[in-house]
Amino acid sequence: MIANTLFAYIVVAMVLFSIGLLGVISRKNIFVIYMSIELMLNAINLIFVSLSRYHDDMGGQVMAMMVIAIAAAEAGVFLSLIIVLYRRKKSLDSDIFRTLSQKEAI
Amino acid sequence: MMDILFLLLSSFAILGAMGMVSFHQPVHSALSLILTIMALAGLFALLSASFLFMVQIIIYAGAILTLFIFIIMFLNVKEANLPKEPNKNITLFLGSLALLPFNFLILRAFYKMPLHVNALESDFGKIKPLGMELFTQWLLPFELISLLLLVALIGAVVLGRKEEA
Repeated sequence: MIANTLFAYIVVAMVLFSIGLLGVISRKNIFVIYMSIELMLNAINLIFVSLSRYHDDMGGQVMAMMVIAIAAAEAGVFLSLIIVLYRRKKSLDSDIFRTLSQKEAI
Repeated sequence: MMDILFLLLSSFAILGAMGMVSFHQPVHSALSLILTIMALAGLFALLSASFLFMVQIIIYAGAILTLFIFIIMFLNVKEANLPKEPNKNITLFLGSLALLPFNFLILRAFYKMPLHVNALESDFGKIKPLGMELFTQWLLPFELISLLLLVALIGAVVLGRKEEA
């Protein structure tokens, strides 16, 4: 009975999205921040798929595939960025990466 | 049966996500994120999206997160290079308190959603109708995605190369 309602899936997706947002705003490790972004994308995917099941329309699943493709592209760019930053600063702290915002931190 | 599966999968997904935000070592976080991704793939299967179930396991767990764990091990991060987060638990708790009104708003918005009553045709979510949909109605976004992947490829190569002098 629970698995048939859309509301249960929405609640799960909402909790996952909130945990991802929490990770972005309250952690400093840049890997964990990136994984939280991935988690938020996945929560949105779950909402897309459950709405596609609910409306009996495949558009939501196609959209979820696009989100997965965008996440793959994002993973490539973000990981190479992390490698460059780690080589320069020898740290994973996101507070250290502030070359663009403050002049003395270069 | 479906209910038990749903409860198991969703609790695994939420537990993995909570572990992901609270572990100190990035490798542990990545492993618990894999647990979440797998549980979400199971939820996709419960929603009768069988192709997305495979895509989620193959691409997300198999490609993206494996690449991710590979990068973490490649960087060989020592304990001294990890950021010190002395009051991590307090900020996590306060952040979750701050996110409660947002969640309440979403719950109010979705609260009156009715049950699934419509029966599906038998090939819903299979690869063939999904491909038909993708290559007829969503052709332009599909091509744009391929362009985006090309741009990301070039960007990753440009960012990752060694700087000369």
